[in-house]
Amino acid sequence: MKRKLSPSIGFILLLFLNTGVSGQSPPGKPKIVRCHSPEKEMLACWWKPGSDGGLLTSYTLLYSKEGEGQTYECPDYTSAGPSSCYFNKKHINSWTTYIITVKAINEMGSSISEPHYVEAASIGKPEKKKSNKVVMLNFISFSPGQPPGKPELIKCRSPEKETFSCWWKPVSDGGLPTNYTLFYNNEGEESFYECPDYTTAGPNSCYFDKKHTSLWTIYNITIKATNEMGSNISEPHYVDVTYIVQPNPPVNLSLALNKHTDGKLYLLMNWSSPPLADVRSGWLTLEYELRLKPEEGEEWETIFVGQRTKYKVFSLIPGEKYIAQVRCKSDHGEWSKWSSESYIHLPKEFRLKDMMVWVFVAVLSSVICLIMIWMMGLKGINMVACILPPVPGPKIKGLDAHLLEAGKNEELLSALGCQGFPPTSDCEDLLVEFLEIDDSEDQQLMPNHEKGHPNKNLKSGNKETDSDSGRGSCDSPSLLLEKCKESRIPPAEFQTPDFSETQVKAAGKSSQETQNRDPELKLPDFNSDGVKSSTWPGTQLASSQIPKGSYHNIVEVCKVAFSAMNVNVSAIRMGNEEKHPSKYSKNIETICEGEMTQRRKGESFHSKAKADQALQWLLPNEKSPFLSDKPMDYVEIHKVNQNGALAVLPKQKENSDKTEIYPIPGTTKEYAKVTRVVDNNVLVLMPESRVQGMPVFQEPPKESAQSLHQSQAEKNMSYCLTAPSEFRLQTGGLEYMDPNSFMCSFK
Amino acid sequence: MSTAGATLAGLLLVILLVSNMFLSKKGVTSSPICPNGSISCQVSLGDLFDRAVKLSHYIHSLSSEMFNEFDERYAQGRGFITKAINSCHTSSLTTPEDKEQAQQIHHEDLLNLVMGVLNSWNDPLLHLVSEVQTIKEAPDTILWKAVEIEEQNKRLLEGMEKIVGRLHPGGLGNELYSRWSGLPSLQLPDEDSRLFAFYNLLHCLRRDSHKIDNYLKLLKCRLIHDSNC
Repeated sequence: MKRKLSPSIGFILLLFLNTGVSGQSPPGKPKIVRCHSPEKEMLACWWKPGSDGGLLTSYTLLYSKEGEGQTYECPDYTSAGPSSCYFNKKHINSWTTYIITVKAINEMGSSISEPHYVEAASIGKPEKKKSNKVVMLNFISFSPGQPPGKPELIKCRSPEKETFSCWWKPVSDGGLPTNYTLFYNNEGEESFYECPDYTTAGPNSCYFDKKHTSLWTIYNITIKATNEMGSNISEPHYVDVTYIVQPNPPVNLSLALNKHTDGKLYLLMNWSSPPLADVRSGWLTLEYELRLKPEEGEEWETIFVGQRTKYKVFSLIPGEKYIAQVRCKSDHGEWSKWSSESYIHLPKEFRLKDMMVWVFVAVLSSVICLIMIWMMGLKGINMVACILPPVPGPKIKGLDAHLLEAGKNEELLSALGCQGFPPTSDCEDLLVEFLEIDDSEDQQLMPNHEKGHPNKNLKSGNKETDSDSGRGSCDSPSLLLEKCKESRIPPAEFQTPDFSETQVKAAGKSSQETQNRDPELKLPDFNSDGVKSSTWPGTQLASSQIPKGSYHNIVEVCKVAFSAMNVNVSAIRMGNEEKHPSKYSKNIETICEGEMTQRRKGESFHSKAKADQALQWLLPNEKSPFLSDKPMDYVEIHKVNQNGALAVLPKQKENSDKTEIYPIPGTTKEYAKVTRVVDNNVLVLMPESRVQGMPVFQEPPKESAQSLHQSQAEKNMSYCLTAPSEFRLQTGGLEYMDPNSFMCSFK
Repeated sequence: MSTAGATLAGLLLVILLVSNMFLSKKGVTSSPICPNGSISCQVSLGDLFDRAVKLSHYIHSLSSEMFNEFDERYAQGRGFITKAINSCHTSSLTTPEDKEQAQQIHHEDLLNLVMGVLNSWNDPLLHLVSEVQTIKEAPDTILWKAVEIEEQNKRLLEGMEKIVGRLHPGGLGNELYSRWSGLPSLQLPDEDSRLFAFYNLLHCLRRDSHKIDNYLKLLKCRLIHDSNC
């Protein structure tokens, strides 16, 4: 070994020295750096020159086709730059391997590079399946950049089981344009074929038409990505067209509203199969699926239809807008995409039932309204008045026309500023007192304890209670009431109201001037018989109530009393200065006169009154026998006659005797209580707590039979009492007041 | 004695009647459309085809599911598919491979092919049922489906024979048949090979059942609905 080496080493050294000494040597071996195909039918090769041996070196590129002996020289040394050779398509044939060498020549010698093999790419379409080989052009690119990544097949689909397409995912191309090729191999065949159509199915796709599609065979598909720097092949993908069927969506989805036999609306949906699918021959069997939703709805309602191409939908909401879509699927394949949306707007239905409900509600509410209005009308509620209160008319303060009407003279007078103005026909109240008349001399008039009560009772019972005390006792409601209360008068005893009324009315007409009475005299119902009470004076006069028992017709009494009182009043008045032309007195006069005349006309009243016990006129020369029945009974002073006798009506508490004299309820009367008897002929009367006291008319009884008491003034009211001197009016808060005294006080 | 005999006879009669009633009601089945096979009463050809199509559809659904289950469970990453090329025993029967070919073939030939394929699968299905149980931890669904497919296949065969008898009473001529010889491979000791054998069998079953289904649907539309389904 050592021996053999030494001569070779020596030779090398010599050579080295030779070159080093001389500085000239044959050129070094050039080296082909790379061959690059900038475009499909062109080629360019570059070489790197070796050492030039210090001499001018020229380079020659020689190429030959594989299998051919002929060598050609590079046609173009300049287009591609220095140390390059440019081949155009004239010189490059596909399906050929070229052997390229570069020769470096100088004066000293030449050297040839290593041969470089270059395979030409296929430029045209491959031949039919039967071609044997596919020669690959493998351009090895040494340019800066990256070889492409590994491509990947995404999916392959057949829309109608006759053709299919495959799509792949483009890979990172390393900054260089990348070429993709698809190769497939049929089951049972050895050769690979290239994709027949890269364009029909879109970018990065391969479309296999009918000729290239076979069912029930497995396709082995690969994709190759190529760029200047290299290429990359995908994994093989095995595809059987049988199982990749996904049809296109159905078309012509039409929505129509129809009416069913029972009147219900339904939606008829019609569509047709996708155009490419051959359903008619049975090659492809499709099943359909629908979905519906209202426009604003969120969830779809999906309906599987089967192989039919029409469907009826019943459960829809009227007035809504619906969206519908349809899709289909091969019998063993995949579902298509949903078709485009179809819309339909359902009309609103006016169902008869809904209308009926509204009509019913409207009618009911109107009926209720009418009832309410009628009820209000019935009750006299004036809604208008409620809403728009009437403007109050002018009114004198304190003076109430109603009061006038009602005979509330006292209040009226008080409104006028008259205190204790003598009442008109109420003057009789002055005279009216409850006296208990006893036959025996020891009879004493008992005070009427209940004087206070009847008023109240009357008031409570009487609707049109006159609240003032200036009432004539003849029609004093309290009197009547009390009488009524104490004894129940059977209706049979009741004197015909009409009769008395007529009597009264006749007399009372004159009184109408001053006092407006309500022609309708309403008396409170003491008993169920409907006893009427009348207000004074008209009412008083018209009182149809006849106290039972020993009382005669109060009206009659009233009249008499009026007359009597009138006389007295006038007498008194004469003594006094008439300063107050009182209507009352006039009235009283007229009334009483009228009554008196009537009374004096005869006892016809009595007979007419049908009183079992005639009205006791305590005329001076008369006695009141009716009171003899009862001891300690109360008497009401009605009148004072001319002779100064008190006309007293006994008050009947319980009288079994049936009288038609009936107390007049409704007319309040104030009674003075007789407290004591003085001087054997003076009645001390204690009035009730009525403020407006009326002077108690006292009259010394001139008749011995009567025991009349005069009340002593106990309260602070003083009255001036003029002639006759027998009259002593003493009041002290008494209810009854002498008008004269009033008059006096006003002087 | 006579009364006792009478009562006994009566009792016996009652028993007879009751038993008759019970017996007659026992095996209640739907009354046959065609009692006693009378010629005048026949199921229509359309109904026969409907039933056949339903069966073929069902068989393919089962086969497809079975294959998918097996593939998921046993064949992942083993590259069985690469090897299962041209490995079906029925590939000797040249069947139309696209619509044009299928539409051009005569319905008799197509029927013949269908019958041939169905017959060729009788044997493999039997063995499949017996051998699939030997697979380690075979899921019940695969087992059940194998049994079901085998049973339905027989019924489909019967139905097809009826149809052929209706359409071609004289028979179809040469009967096609492919013999299956894959049994030993199902019994290989090597698990991997064995599994591949099953995979291959199931793969071929899926394909052939789809072929049959497709052909029958074609025939039905062509013969019954006059190519206007």
